[in-house]
Amino acid sequence: MDRLLLEDADLFRFIAHLVACKTVYAPQRKGADSYVFAPVDDPQAVVLDYPRTLHSIKKYFLPPREELLSFNLRSNAFAAAEVEPVNAIFLGVHSYDLHAVLKLDHNFSQGNAERNYLTRRQGAIFIGVSYRPDRFHFGGSVGIPVADTTGCDLFLHRLDRGHVVEIVSDTGRELLRGLDLPAFTGELPRTADFEQHIYLPQGKLTEVFARGYQSGIWEEVAEKCVGCGTCNLVCPTCYCFNVEDEVDVSLEGGSRQRHWDGCMLREFSQVAGGEVFRNNLAARQRHRVYRKFKYISDQTGEPWCVGCGRCTAYCTAGISIVNIVNRLVQEHDWANAAKL
Amino acid sequence: MSRSQLLDPAAARDLYSPVMAEISAIEDLTALEKLYRITLPDGAELGHKPGQFVELSLFGVGEAPLSISSSPTLRGHFELGVRRVGMLTEMLHRLPVGARVGIRGPFGNGFDLDALAGKDILIIAGGIGLVPLRSLINYVRDRRGDFGRLIICYGSRSDRELLFDAERAEWEADPSIELHVTVDRGSAAWRGRTGVITTLLPEVELDPRSSVACICGPPIMYRFVLLSLRAQRLAAENIFLSLERRMKCGVGKCGHCQINGSYVCQEGPVYRYSELEALPEAL
Amino acid sequence: MAAKPRVGIFDFTGCEGCELNHLNFEEQLLDILEHVDIVEWREAMDERADELDIAFVEGSLSTPDCITRINAIRRKSKILVAVGACAVQGGVNAMKNLQPIEAVREEVYGEDKYLFPTLPALPLSAVVKVDHEIRGCPMTQIEFLKVFTALVMGKRPVETDHAVCVECKLRENECVYDKGMVCLGPVTRGGCAAICPSFGQYCTGCRGLVSDANPAAMEQILVDHGLAAEEARKKLQLFNANQLEGTQS
Repeated sequence: MDRLLLEDADLFRFIAHLVACKTVYAPQRKGADSYVFAPVDDPQAVVLDYPRTLHSIKKYFLPPREELLSFNLRSNAFAAAEVEPVNAIFLGVHSYDLHAVLKLDHNFSQGNAERNYLTRRQGAIFIGVSYRPDRFHFGGSVGIPVADTTGCDLFLHRLDRGHVVEIVSDTGRELLRGLDLPAFTGELPRTADFEQHIYLPQGKLTEVFARGYQSGIWEEVAEKCVGCGTCNLVCPTCYCFNVEDEVDVSLEGGSRQRHWDGCMLREFSQVAGGEVFRNNLAARQRHRVYRKFKYISDQTGEPWCVGCGRCTAYCTAGISIVNIVNRLVQEHDWANAAKL
Repeated sequence: MSRSQLLDPAAARDLYSPVMAEISAIEDLTALEKLYRITLPDGAELGHKPGQFVELSLFGVGEAPLSISSSPTLRGHFELGVRRVGMLTEMLHRLPVGARVGIRGPFGNGFDLDALAGKDILIIAGGIGLVPLRSLINYVRDRRGDFGRLIICYGSRSDRELLFDAERAEWEADPSIELHVTVDRGSAAWRGRTGVITTLLPEVELDPRSSVACICGPPIMYRFVLLSLRAQRLAAENIFLSLERRMKCGVGKCGHCQINGSYVCQEGPVYRYSELEALPEAL
Repeated sequence: MAAKPRVGIFDFTGCEGCELNHLNFEEQLLDILEHVDIVEWREAMDERADELDIAFVEGSLSTPDCITRINAIRRKSKILVAVGACAVQGGVNAMKNLQPIEAVREEVYGEDKYLFPTLPALPLSAVVKVDHEIRGCPMTQIEFLKVFTALVMGKRPVETDHAVCVECKLRENECVYDKGMVCLGPVTRGGCAAICPSFGQYCTGCRGLVSDANPAAMEQILVDHGLAAEEARKKLQLFNANQLEGTQS
């Protein structure tokens, strides 16, 4: 019995049941028109039909700001910060955000495995939910369909008046114990189509991006770009960070903190002597896109962009990563056609 | 991507806590540079390779990546050559002997000693580039039989900026070392050569089949040195360059040191010239 | 610096709001006062000093007398810190520079204009070497604390050179543009923890432009979001008239 029916009338009971098991983080309204993952106090505040959250759930495993250690300036001694497993249920995660977490798992496990991130990752239970792609989503183009259940424990497929609860893992099955949801025997609902597509030719990612290094697109984008760093900071697969020491005004002690950083910022590649190694916006845009579609992809065979659309949705200059990549694909196709 | 990628945190390390070490000696090299001798608790060995670096920590200030300037054959402590150039190095320069600093590392790949074994080693050091190369030079001296010729070409902007005077005198006196030194501009007291570092290279006769070059210096220097070495028919795989980038975490996570797809703190800072074809941002 | 640093606080052409902000530190004020000796501060005391370790200077320079005074302060201070938008980049005063100076003089003083010599509103750095800057209108308190603690520690303060957007995003703020407003955050220096957008106001650019700002692209963003080209330009000129092209003096 892998599929159950959760009618809308039962939704609050379902959420209350989850809250009774563990801390639950779910999307809730923020401000005029936005959504954020936040702890659930009131099940009625949960929104399962939402386009995107401001931050992905990455913020729980790699927080925007995190204390690494605290120090005492008198004794010149320090203590590493305590890091706790998140140990919570994430309700209503879109497939692209879950894939992003799996990609971060890879980044923080290989090479020098990092204890902070991996500790936080413990005990996380994921309940995915389907969504209606808007004009920014393009997960389908990077191998992440709307109803992809990879990494989930349960997945909620949106129906007319409720959801199909698909049991994906034993943890998920265990979570439903005591709820007595009826079985669902129908067909899974069809998900809506994507409006945005990257036309990536099969297996040609490497070729397209090898040629794309010299493309004129980078300068064109740089003219519109103001280098604000938003695209990096909203991206669910970005994990670059900066580390700074902060000192209390008493001058007795302080802490070493890390916070999200971004390669679009000019200071990112600046050394103490003053040299900036990636000194223009065109080069930085190119680097950002290559981090998502080439550098890590060369090793893993997958794009590192999950098609969430945040970088484009939140760019005040309207720069679209889909347009950039499609342009590179086009230039690659023209060049190939010219050879014939 | 499956879930089994996730590692048990017990298998992971705390990457960011330093070991507290002591500044056991300080030597003034020039107006801007000092050499620090660092002793780890119980005189433990750092266990580094020539060409690696450490992150030195001053609480309340931050961390800075510093090239290790001593050979691992120097036991009981290691040395860091530090130019006063930024917030942390300014504070460091004010610290006395006995002050405690945090050390993380060693980081980076260092020079490929297996590739260098049995070869004639041409060291090309521009300015402060001599700091990490000194680690390799002294290693070769201490394991002299494992290597062929040791040729050192060292150039500095002026004689006042020349580093390691006493040691250079030792290298000069050592019959198994060929030392060539030049300055861009000499003071009135300077009796040696003047001219940029590339002027030294034509004098060095190399057998390209059995030689390797190890280069470190300011970014502008690399291009001209490489032209000269390629003209002498040295193969790209036999040219090693130590590249500088903004090293921060040292462990391949924070991203600041990236050259294209490569984390310099992991796959570098030492690269073969042949590797740089895939890294167009490198030079 | 041996013993406690000797500190002086000065003001030029400005509203003195930055100085007022010094007093707004509340819990931290006692710690601050613990670390320094304030030996000159016209607003609060009569004494003067011949030598200072640190001078905190607010306000822009707009008369010949200002030039004389700032040079005197620079001569007697080891470190000079420009405090607030007027001192750092000219501030709102610099909007005067967008018009011919004689016309401005006439408008303000009428027939008596010959009694009032005036210069374009200048940042301190136009006349003296400025060692460090605390930006904002009024000065950003958290930046003051950073610079202050650094100076007392003998550490070089690090200046912020990334956009306010970075700090909004770290706080998971809803973007002001998504609330139907426009905002100069994308080209304005952070360091203020995005205080205005975090409390529902848009960023007016008071902390000055980031060093690699692309004002043309910023104006285009404003135009794309409904402003006329002239309005977009004026928004940027409010606090940054000196930094943009087309400034007359």
